[in-house]
Amino acid sequence: MAKPILFVLILICSSSCVVVREYDKAYINDAEMQLSARPCERFETNFHIYREASSGANGGKTGGGCGCN
Amino acid sequence: MGWSQQDNTSYKRRVLEASEVDLLFSYYNQDGNHAAVTGGEGTEDLTDATSSIVLRMPLNEDDVLTVDVGLSAYTSASSSNVNPLDGGLNVTPFDASSGESRKDILAYVKPTYQHSSEDRNTIWSANAYVSSEYDYFSIGFGGNYTRLFNEKNTELSLGGTVFLDKWNAIYPIELRPGFFDDRITGNGAYMPNFTEFDKENRNSYSLSLSFSQILGKRVQGALFVDLVSQNGLLSTPFQRVYFGDTEDFFIDDFQLADDVEHLPDSRLKVPFGGRLNYYVNDFLVLRSYYRLYWDDWGITSHTANLELPFKLTDKFTLYPAYRYYTQTAADYFYPKEAALSTSEFYTSDYDLSKYDAHQYGLGVQYKDIFTSAKVLNFGLKTIDLRFSQYDRSDGLNAFILTLGTTFVGN
Repeated sequence: MAKPILFVLILICSSSCVVVREYDKAYINDAEMQLSARPCERFETNFHIYREASSGANGGKTGGGCGCN
Repeated sequence: MGWSQQDNTSYKRRVLEASEVDLLFSYYNQDGNHAAVTGGEGTEDLTDATSSIVLRMPLNEDDVLTVDVGLSAYTSASSSNVNPLDGGLNVTPFDASSGESRKDILAYVKPTYQHSSEDRNTIWSANAYVSSEYDYFSIGFGGNYTRLFNEKNTELSLGGTVFLDKWNAIYPIELRPGFFDDRITGNGAYMPNFTEFDKENRNSYSLSLSFSQILGKRVQGALFVDLVSQNGLLSTPFQRVYFGDTEDFFIDDFQLADDVEHLPDSRLKVPFGGRLNYYVNDFLVLRSYYRLYWDDWGITSHTANLELPFKLTDKFTLYPAYRYYTQTAADYFYPKEAALSTSEFYTSDYDLSKYDAHQYGLGVQYKDIFTSAKVLNFGLKTIDLRFSQYDRSDGLNAFILTLGTTFVGN
């Protein structure tokens, strides 16, 4: 549990001291930098939801909508 | 002066410039010997082919309508053994039956309406979902609100979803009223202590919160947390359980069910995830993901994922990926014949057992920002081809092949 909390603290501290301007976002706006799964990963996420007991926190379904968990 | 002063009429950039269509296809195959349908022992052979079409249409400068429709068709050896007696051969949990329960189709549609504010710092969306399988029907709806701060360096998003699902409960053939077969062997008479579920609804409510932050010119991260509450029929009605304290009965090599799984009628799930992406250089990006999951059935899991997209040329990207997953067992999981008939809850579904899993993937993407290849009135923007191999420590192995294409309207 300590690692996620540390990660949150790093994010919050960083947000207070870094502002990247629009003209400096060439790398951030790169398609590979998107903070979401690739569109074609949706099927892998689906089979993980079926075959694994856990789900959620990844943009996929968190339960319901199918006979899986 | 050669330059005239710009007037107040400024160009407003559309949220989505032109209609886009994603065509997605996947082929999935798995095999193992711990089928839940046959009480934790039997073939898990399953093949699934899924295709989806996602259409994104700009309605005006600020609004986008997305319609996601799909069809998934599968054949499953284990679900064929809901009724293993319709195959005509020697009956065994390690072979597929040829009956109707061996295949099914899932069809779904999910429309989403999204609106962005004038300054693009506020986005809200609403969605609906309907899906249907032979033994399962689902209707859902949800909404999402996103706010961007700090010159769009910080993003906070809050969402909620409700699914109202309904089983059409199918039970193992030997537990259905009026079942008789003169091939049954065992001590005494086969009279399982079984009653059908009186409720067939399953409701799921989820609340999602996400926070993303640009951490520098080359790095950004996000945190996600969901709170999910489910209630209703959370057991799968056709998954057999064999008790350790009752007599065993067989037809050929197939053991007849003592009961079906019984799980609590409520479940609280809390997944907590994070992504961190780092633009190393023009050749390499590092994409990472971690999730901690907890639920009140006794399951704790960790998921870690690392993907390394290599930009080979302006058009081709190669992205190897590795995913590690580990989970503890649910409090109600028992291997075959380990559960007692006096227990309140029990299942032999190995998806709820303790295991870890490794997934190795490799994908290649072709991208043409000029969309020079045309199909009808649409230009080809990207093609993604991806293969992943999944190996689970309980012996389940699977692979999935995915093809995705994106076209942009002219």
